[in-house]
Amino acid sequence: MRIDRLLIGLGKGLAVAVLLAWSLVPIAFVVISSFKPGRDIFAVPPRHAFSPTLDHYAALWTRWGVFFDGLWNSLLITAGATALAVIASTCAGYVYSRNAGRLLNGSVLFLIVVRLIPPIVITLPLFPIVNLLGLNDTHLVLMVLYATFFVSLGTVLMRTFIDQIPRELDEAAQIDGAGRLTILRRIIVPLAAPGILAVAVFVVVFAWNEFLFAFIFTGTNAKTAPLVISEMIGSIDGVDWGILFAASTVQLAPVLLFVVFMNRFLVAGLTAGATKG
Amino acid sequence: MTDPRTGLTRRRLLGTALGGAATMAALPTWAQTRTLNILSHAVHERVLGAGDADLLSAWKSDNGATLSFTTFDSNPLQDRLFREASLPATDYSVGYLIDNRPTSEIAALFEPLGPRNAADPIEDFADIAPGLIQGMTVDGNLIGIPVRHATQGLFYNEAMLEEAGITAPPETLEELIEQANRLTFTSASGTPVTGMVLASDLAVFPVMFARAFGGDFITADFRLVPDRGAMEQGLSALRSMFETGALPRSYATTRNDDMVSWIQQGRAAFTVLPFARHAQLNNPEQSNFPGRIKAIPFPGSASLPAGTPMSAVVEAWAMVIPRNATDKDLAWSYIREVSSKRVTLGMALNGNGPVRVSSYADPALIERNPVAEIEARVLATARGAFPPFPEAARAQATMLEEVQLAVLGRKSVADAVSAIIDRVGPLMPA
Amino acid sequence: MRTRKLTDLLPFIAPVHILILSVIVLPALYVAWLSLMQSTFGQAPSFVGFANFRRVLADPAFRSALWNTVVLVMVAVHLELVVGLLLALLFASGLPFRRVLLVCTLAPYAVSEVIAVVSWRYLFDPDAGPVTQLLLSLGLPVLDWSFEPMHAMILIALLTIWLHLPFTFIILYAARLAIPADLYEAARIDGARPWQAFRRVTLPLLGPAIVVALLFRYIFAFRIFSEVWLLTGGGPARTTEVVAVYLYREALPTTPLARHRQPHGSWFWRRCCWRWVMWRCCASR
Repeated sequence: MRIDRLLIGLGKGLAVAVLLAWSLVPIAFVVISSFKPGRDIFAVPPRHAFSPTLDHYAALWTRWGVFFDGLWNSLLITAGATALAVIASTCAGYVYSRNAGRLLNGSVLFLIVVRLIPPIVITLPLFPIVNLLGLNDTHLVLMVLYATFFVSLGTVLMRTFIDQIPRELDEAAQIDGAGRLTILRRIIVPLAAPGILAVAVFVVVFAWNEFLFAFIFTGTNAKTAPLVISEMIGSIDGVDWGILFAASTVQLAPVLLFVVFMNRFLVAGLTAGATKG
Repeated sequence: MTDPRTGLTRRRLLGTALGGAATMAALPTWAQTRTLNILSHAVHERVLGAGDADLLSAWKSDNGATLSFTTFDSNPLQDRLFREASLPATDYSVGYLIDNRPTSEIAALFEPLGPRNAADPIEDFADIAPGLIQGMTVDGNLIGIPVRHATQGLFYNEAMLEEAGITAPPETLEELIEQANRLTFTSASGTPVTGMVLASDLAVFPVMFARAFGGDFITADFRLVPDRGAMEQGLSALRSMFETGALPRSYATTRNDDMVSWIQQGRAAFTVLPFARHAQLNNPEQSNFPGRIKAIPFPGSASLPAGTPMSAVVEAWAMVIPRNATDKDLAWSYIREVSSKRVTLGMALNGNGPVRVSSYADPALIERNPVAEIEARVLATARGAFPPFPEAARAQATMLEEVQLAVLGRKSVADAVSAIIDRVGPLMPA
Repeated sequence: MRTRKLTDLLPFIAPVHILILSVIVLPALYVAWLSLMQSTFGQAPSFVGFANFRRVLADPAFRSALWNTVVLVMVAVHLELVVGLLLALLFASGLPFRRVLLVCTLAPYAVSEVIAVVSWRYLFDPDAGPVTQLLLSLGLPVLDWSFEPMHAMILIALLTIWLHLPFTFIILYAARLAIPADLYEAARIDGARPWQAFRRVTLPLLGPAIVVALLFRYIFAFRIFSEVWLLTGGGPARTTEVVAVYLYREALPTTPLARHRQPHGSWFWRRCCWRWVMWRCCASR
């Protein structure tokens, strides 16, 4: 019995080690490079011993001030898109989970089929329309676009998660006179928290890194961080890798913080799940 | 679309209203001035200087104008420029265009500048490199004023040549290949060195090798592979270098940025890059060989008759005015000022490839840029990799595919050249 | 009664459908109609039916790209599913430092494709990359991905998995967390071994989530673009080209040259209708 446990522990430890190496080595390269003197970054043979420097971050701050404006824009757009997508998906997922009907089932299928359309296609007709409405280069247009591209996945996922919540709970609440909105807020949302957070992660990551729509629909006011990074990479007078890696590290940090923050609620959702039913 | 009093466009106003408080804060600064909206690469804004070193400060106060640059990376920039120019009206009155883009269709989107230059001429117009002006003349109309160029030269690592006991850089292509082979070794510092590193995703390199033997890919008058033998010799040279390891095994996936970091790290002894990269390659913060990376003209083959010029590849940027622009007069005034001798030289000192022949003679520039004199010489005979035409991108992709097959040895050089002729032929303009 | 119920529900599902209809469906229908047309700037379009599609389907380069895409999707998506499932179970079985580990596992998802490729290209550099060196020192075969098409495909698949494993993982993990613990308790009391608990409890309850994860990964993976474009550019000599890269190459004859360093895919109908759309929308304004 004890040996069994030891073996399982060893196996888990090994799995975790492989997982960490797999996930983190490529990221570690980026983060470590951002602290390396420029000439050591791509050195062959690699220089593992180096004197760390903050020069690249300083240069990023002074030479690419626009990057930080971009981060702010990205933050606003990501927050707006995530809120919109999560709310819309949860509402729709709830209805789809608790109600059946040919029309409803058909419209779920429709949501999935629509996602087969490549995003680039819609930029063609949308560009002149957005221009006509005067929405070009606003945060709003990107919020709506990003949310739209994840409400399909969001709705289908939320339906799957809400399906797992026993119907007796909302039926009981209904008898107590609670309306749909109250049931959704008081019962469904707390119990479906892991699902909601999963959806939120998808939208956050997508909106934070998206390039194509941002490039087509923004100029200066709503320019996002990935656009500025693409300028650093495509710089026609040479790429300064140190600055690029510094920018990538800065850009990575908020998303990781979000995941840490989210983790708390994921655990809360777990305990809520344990007490139900 | 623009309110003359505030310089506010409807788009901005709505954008601001909907975009939130962050952008609101920026509103008052736009008041009371004319704003010229410019679509460019970040580099074009940077070389104009800022603050006290702003090359255009006098022009701005004379015209009561401010500049608002919207910057993108090169390809997205061109895409956006054409898209804006296709709208009924655009807020962007000046755009920056690369010289290999303007087909007849694209050129029609932009204002012909000949009449404007006749009425309100640019200072000493004849001083601007005629080859670059030629590149911006489409269907007889001058549609852009050249502002920046990048001309390709041969870079070498002096320290490595010394280490291998080579006393002088190559003067012919044959010498270059011979030296590249000798420089394929492990250096004293333990770094494995390949003789030469070239990207495989740009037509520039095979074109330069073909030209070194007197051939070409597509000439300015649209002749495809005018000299088959020369193209075969050029590709055979590349193939032989790959076989001996003088081109890296990763040739097929090597690209522009790799060339820069390979030279900086001492992983390769030779490469072909724009002369303007001289500063970056020798930058002590990035390079392990600061001050040791030198540039010379790319050499032609010894088999060429003496005196035949080797045409290096040049790529240029020009300033254009979209036909649907809102403030063309201010745009032209800006273009005139940027093209003046003073600003051209000022930009050159900030690292811009100057389009005026006279700038290269300036002592300050010669001191600042050690390769200025060589670059001026190469620019005199340089021309684009191939002329713009509607199917140019596909022609380039096809050519590069066949070149890769030949260099990697999956196809004979002769077959690859035949395939280039057969497959690119139908793409040529009638 | 029925219609009454539907109007009751409508406010809840309306936001999703309004977004999708106005942003995706209507523009897409318009483009689909245009794709049947042959037109250039300033000319009225003429109906050419499916000629544009036939031309593409007849191209051997397209078929090879299609095959590459199918292989990549099949290998990458299914590997992701298996590994993602194992990871979800590993996390659910209780791990020390779970928060930190979760962040580490999800981290690749937050990395933009462009940066990921820069990093992978360096690590797997066939001459000097640290991973190559490590494999060599262990006496293992290395990935000669810039020369051998097969090796290039393997590297692309690995990179795709690296980028998207967190997607599959988080869906499965969240779904696993939503399974009530008392079900396992009950199974244990009934004397079920861990494997039986997995077969009888976990798998059936995860079923819907697995279907959703697979479905959307198929859809996203079929569009694979950046990984290929930035890593190999479809090379060596177009042998690793996928559908999106093919269409991108074929679609952009007027905005030529150089390689985008950014995911920037495009479809071939862009070519035949882009400027026409501009002109049309603008002229009718």
